[in-house]
Amino acid sequence: MTDSERREDKFHPPAGASPATTDARVSASEAVSPTPSWLAGRGELVVAAMTLGIAVFLTVGIVTMDVPEGAGSPGPTFFPIIVAGLLYVLAVLLAVQVVRAPRPVDGDSNSSRVGVSTDLLNDVGDIDTTSEIRVIRSTVNPKTTSKIGLTDWKTTGIVLASVIIFVLILQPIGWLLAAAALFWALAWALGSTRPLFDIGVSLIFSSCMQLAFSAGLGLTLPSGILTGVFSWIN
Amino acid sequence: MDQLGNLLEGFSVALTPMNLVFLVIGAILGTAVGVLPGLGSAMAVALLLPVTFSLDPTGAFIMFASIYFGGLFGDSTSGILLNTPGNSSAIATSFEGHRMAKDGRAAKALGTAAIGAFMGGMIATTLVVFFSPYLVRLATLFGPAEYFALAAFAFVAISAVVAESVVRGLIALGIGLSLAMVGIDGQSGAARFTLGNPEFFDGISIIVVTVGLLAMGEVLHVASRIHREGSAMQIQTSGSPYLTWREFKQVLPAFMRGTAFGLPFGAIPVGGSEVPTFLAYGTEKRLAKRRGDSMFGGRGAIQGVAGPEAAGNATAGSAMGALLALGLPTSATAAMMLAAFQQYGMQPGPLLFERSADLVWPLLASLFVGLIILLVINLPFASVWAKLLLVPKHYLYAGVAVFSVFGVYAIASSMKDLWLLIAIGVLGFVMRRFEIPVAPVLIAAILGPLAETELRRALAVSEGDLGILVASPISVSLYAIMALAILISIVQHLRHRKAAAL
Repeated sequence: MTDSERREDKFHPPAGASPATTDARVSASEAVSPTPSWLAGRGELVVAAMTLGIAVFLTVGIVTMDVPEGAGSPGPTFFPIIVAGLLYVLAVLLAVQVVRAPRPVDGDSNSSRVGVSTDLLNDVGDIDTTSEIRVIRSTVNPKTTSKIGLTDWKTTGIVLASVIIFVLILQPIGWLLAAAALFWALAWALGSTRPLFDIGVSLIFSSCMQLAFSAGLGLTLPSGILTGVFSWIN
Repeated sequence: MDQLGNLLEGFSVALTPMNLVFLVIGAILGTAVGVLPGLGSAMAVALLLPVTFSLDPTGAFIMFASIYFGGLFGDSTSGILLNTPGNSSAIATSFEGHRMAKDGRAAKALGTAAIGAFMGGMIATTLVVFFSPYLVRLATLFGPAEYFALAAFAFVAISAVVAESVVRGLIALGIGLSLAMVGIDGQSGAARFTLGNPEFFDGISIIVVTVGLLAMGEVLHVASRIHREGSAMQIQTSGSPYLTWREFKQVLPAFMRGTAFGLPFGAIPVGGSEVPTFLAYGTEKRLAKRRGDSMFGGRGAIQGVAGPEAAGNATAGSAMGALLALGLPTSATAAMMLAAFQQYGMQPGPLLFERSADLVWPLLASLFVGLIILLVINLPFASVWAKLLLVPKHYLYAGVAVFSVFGVYAIASSMKDLWLLIAIGVLGFVMRRFEIPVAPVLIAAILGPLAETELRRALAVSEGDLGILVASPISVSLYAIMALAILISIVQHLRHRKAAAL
């Protein structure tokens, strides 16, 4: 058995063992197109690349660092050298692991929350593969069953873009409107069906925060174009 | 006894009206965030941490501690009713808890969880009060080499021993250490990895890292899943949350066993309460099997809720002791707590009890008061809190995003922090996507500077001789425990590989 199959078994009882639970990963593997691309299950190479990137960044930083005279020996580059070395080794190890044994990750909201080894938890918790772990998996939205294992790039992209736009407009237009816009955009992207009603909700939400923290606790929030209106509060 | 007198003095501060108000507000906010579906105690602390900074230190810590414990009380609610535990510490509770809920005994499960959380927390806090002076005395024996051994122990335990994949755990650790190195090096004054930008001279705020990884990363993760996953079915609460005397006598041993599992794990850096809660669950399961109890695993047994829940809060309580007395954060949430201390210019550890006794003892006293308040607002009103589960997900995560940008901006009104938040949020999203644990990043980011400073200090004293790192019995025994843990973990991995190959 390969590593990935083993993983799958650990979380999932054989089909039919639990008719009540919709099994996300089984549907994910059914949904894979007939000729899966080489990249399937190897998306994690992104992480290896990122790790390598950090290691390179550290290396450049170490080489170009201005070490003040009189810095003791182990100096300021001592620890970074160890960390950078570690990261180079890890990036290679991860890349090798991922290339040799592709790991399909379905990104299930519940199972990916656990940061601790499932082997370990199964051992200490006397857990058998047919009962407990599966109960915490999410259900599948019937409309998008075929895409369950795939990341929803559109929604993620909209959310990320909304946050970036918020940061850009925060100072010019002020907290109240910028935060309301962020709240509204996210609620819409995440599936709200009442955009008009949401305008009210977001304005109430952001003004409550402004009132509670700016007037109540004295934190300063940029007031932007509403400066004049707010002068009476502060 | 000294401790008793100190504690009474602490009570006199904790019970002033203003601090009581902070305590109640914190308990309510913490429980609320803990109950909200998908959000747990770690998120409660991350989101509300910046808010507490505008208070005076004593008030802030009192509020902070009650947010933390409130989150722990709330965690199990969504696990029991929705089967989506808010925090990984509540998974073990959800197994039997959700079965009980499906059996029409949701209120009883919630009540048992609240009592379990109360008892675990109470016993742990009491022990912390009486043992912390001894821990402090132990900590005064620590020199640079010993502190480095302690930090190395924490790094290895959290990233290699308990992680699903050693390589991924260590990558998380390396990322955390890299984030911690940005800024002016305290010992030599060299600017490191700042790209010459003065805004980075102070380093990357640990709060930006936590909020980014835990909150912003979670929002992006939810965005990537929300149109894929269906909604969980909520079970209505019915019945009485109170235990009958007979039931109480049945579960009392389970509470005690759970607490006994939780206590030692609070002081060991293995990422929090997953391991002890699962241990407690496994023990109850085996005992039920021996008794021939058919409820366990079928309709749901209260022991299965009581054990893990008590274990979870006992871990949190003794983690507080390890944090205050040794300065050692044993979980992601404890790491945030440590960040909060640093924000106020205090360094937990042996000196804290001497220099900031006026803060530590009220904090410990407020834990007792907080637990009582939490029991009062949780036990009778569990079904009221459960109404929070009805908040639609799109409003919930929109709110989380707004709160995280607010919190990060509130630290220093800096736009740089907001851009960092986005970058770290994307990092957190990628890590969630590939199931790379985030706890090692937080532990490394918070303990990294300590590890580096102590290592360099030790080597400077010994003029480069590595032998100094293993020159004292304390550090030797720490490394020995570490080696033992690695050995056990290797054996266990091999056993599973063998079992899988058959």
